[in-house]
Amino acid sequence: MIDAIKLRILQGDPIVHDVKNANLPKLFRGLPTIVDKPCPEGCDKCAAVCPVHAITANPVKIDLGRCTFCPLCEEACPGKLIHYTNNYHIASDKRENLIVTKDTKSITPARAAKKIRDYFGKSLKLRQVSAGGCNGCELELNALNNVNFDMGRFGIEFVASPRHADGIVITGPITKNMANPLQICYDAVPNPKIIILVGTCSIAGHVFESSDCLQRKFLDENKIDLYVPGCPPHPLTFITGILSFIGR
Amino acid sequence: MSSLQIQNNQCFRLDEIIFSAKNDFLNTVSEHLSNGFRMIGLFPPDKGNPGRIIAALANSGSSELCIVGGEFPEDKLEFESFAVSFPQTNYFECELAENYGYTPLNHPWLRPVRKQNVILGDKPYHFYKLEGDEVHEVAVGPIHAGVIEPGHFRFQCHGELVYNLEINLGYQHRGVEALFLEADSNRRIMLAESTAGDTVIGHTYAHCNVVESLSNTQIGLRAQVIRSVAEELERIAMHLSGLGGVANDIGLAIVASSYGRLRTLVINSLADLSGSRFGRGLFVYGGVRFDFDSENINHIMKKLNTVRNDVKVINDFLFSSTGALVRFEKTGAVSPDSAFKIGLVGLAARSCGIELDTRINYPYGSYRYFPVSQITLSTGDVFARARLRALEIDESLRFIFEQIENLPEGEIRGDAGDAEPVSGVVSITEGWRGEIVHIAVTDEKGGIVQYKIKDPSFNNWYGLSLALRKTEISDFPLCNKSFDLSYAGHDL
Repeated sequence: MIDAIKLRILQGDPIVHDVKNANLPKLFRGLPTIVDKPCPEGCDKCAAVCPVHAITANPVKIDLGRCTFCPLCEEACPGKLIHYTNNYHIASDKRENLIVTKDTKSITPARAAKKIRDYFGKSLKLRQVSAGGCNGCELELNALNNVNFDMGRFGIEFVASPRHADGIVITGPITKNMANPLQICYDAVPNPKIIILVGTCSIAGHVFESSDCLQRKFLDENKIDLYVPGCPPHPLTFITGILSFIGR
Repeated sequence: MSSLQIQNNQCFRLDEIIFSAKNDFLNTVSEHLSNGFRMIGLFPPDKGNPGRIIAALANSGSSELCIVGGEFPEDKLEFESFAVSFPQTNYFECELAENYGYTPLNHPWLRPVRKQNVILGDKPYHFYKLEGDEVHEVAVGPIHAGVIEPGHFRFQCHGELVYNLEINLGYQHRGVEALFLEADSNRRIMLAESTAGDTVIGHTYAHCNVVESLSNTQIGLRAQVIRSVAEELERIAMHLSGLGGVANDIGLAIVASSYGRLRTLVINSLADLSGSRFGRGLFVYGGVRFDFDSENINHIMKKLNTVRNDVKVINDFLFSSTGALVRFEKTGAVSPDSAFKIGLVGLAARSCGIELDTRINYPYGSYRYFPVSQITLSTGDVFARARLRALEIDESLRFIFEQIENLPEGEIRGDAGDAEPVSGVVSITEGWRGEIVHIAVTDEKGGIVQYKIKDPSFNNWYGLSLALRKTEISDFPLCNKSFDLSYAGHDL
């Protein structure tokens, strides 16, 4: 018993108290900023190096839904127009808001409709489905329950059964072999329900986009309520995105 | 015995391989297998010519590595299965059958690996079935009760005891190997990073070794050290996650959350170095992208010192808790003999007393100059797998501290040249789960035309099946977590 208490004391106070203003490592790549200057004549080096076609040059636009937050474009740009900051507030309820231009200062999801907020504002239970995810996003979603992030304190939790869930969280590019289980799981969630896409794979297919092993029909047939970009997204991107979405 | 002796990361010309007639090939492979070799690859180097195949074989005891080539008549791609005598090859043969239409005759258990309908055609898959009074079947998955990857488990039980566990995977199949062939270099690194997102460093390290060996690129010592430090950070982080998992599965919440806190410190150290908590973006062909400087070393050392101090206290608590030991000891045991026969690798093999660690048996990068110790335990149960994690964390911490205190000077990044034409290379690294094999083959222009990946999970899933035999079904989560295998790495 005394040893257990010692362990508890050793834990100290590791929790991120203020999830909206946390300090991430200097090098962490979150929201990019684009300097308001024209690209050098005829230069499209950033677009040429991008493995996932997330960036266009002149004017520079970065689609965070496609972006894997690698440092290639930042490195390639001769004019040093692109810089990835450690701002982790990048979740959005609209796909088009994920496209970063020189005017983008921040990304915040709009608050969900009042009905959704009334239903889920204080308690949101989610069923996660990994549909071809590499376990990167899954590890970061699991990290949400550790002592550092402790998402449970906001009433947001992952549950085992879709019947207990208010929505699903999809990770991975949605493989053919998971398309049907995903549909069955979604159908089992009672209405009203929300869909959250986590990670570049689920939002845009990542490097697997051209693979013939994917079946992404589900995304065309259903309305997506929240996009959480990243490869994988930082746990705080997920928490702050959801909190804004449910109006907290 | 016509086999080509090679080294880990040694580029060889394809014409050095002697493609002997089918029967010679089968005899040579069998001979190697009975001399203690393990199969690490079985596939045609040229996709357009499935009749010519190579078997890559490794003998960890003698640190030998060799390639045996065989020529089959194209209209008769069949052979007497090795798996009858050498169960370790059974899954490789299934894979060969599924991908290239081979028929392993008298194969004990020919089944789909990743694509449900290739081997079976339209026929439904039949699970192994136990019949009799009071016998029941439990089906779990593909979607599990938690934030985990998908896979299907079918238990045949009598009362609480599991008699057989069949594991059906392939749900995560994204076509990684095929994508490698059409990708450019930046895309390939990203593919390697996403092969198994919990083993970013392990897979990317193997992939970079492949490309650098093909192009005869030398890596600076400082870059090599940074690579291996990253690999050990990944190992520590995932071992902490595994220990937290087993503690969680026996209800020891304080221990689970303590390990979880330490894991955060370790992956944040990787973020201090590379900007990503999983080390994405760190590796480039010819070196690494990010360097140590006094600032990030300070951050990292501070975190790792906390880990080094606290992990001792937590380990002591866990491994002296009677409640934990009762659950761990003799649970999900795999005997050393079975482990060898089915070809277990990595942590799972070492916990059965098998000395098999790529960093030691086939050293690469800075492990050639700065060795790590081979650590094995003998009981092969949940206890051994958990305890081994704790011991390996200590060893990895020792390695990292030693490396960071004696950082060599020099460039961290060079350029990779063009790949040798019509050549091949076998690269093995020791990911935190175990042996990761990447094999590439190039054409006349030096373009990669065949790419084969073997994640340690490919070998070890069957180990989990064996561990469950005569084990209570309620111990499944604990056994599963003690192996902590990858679905994405298996399914590719």
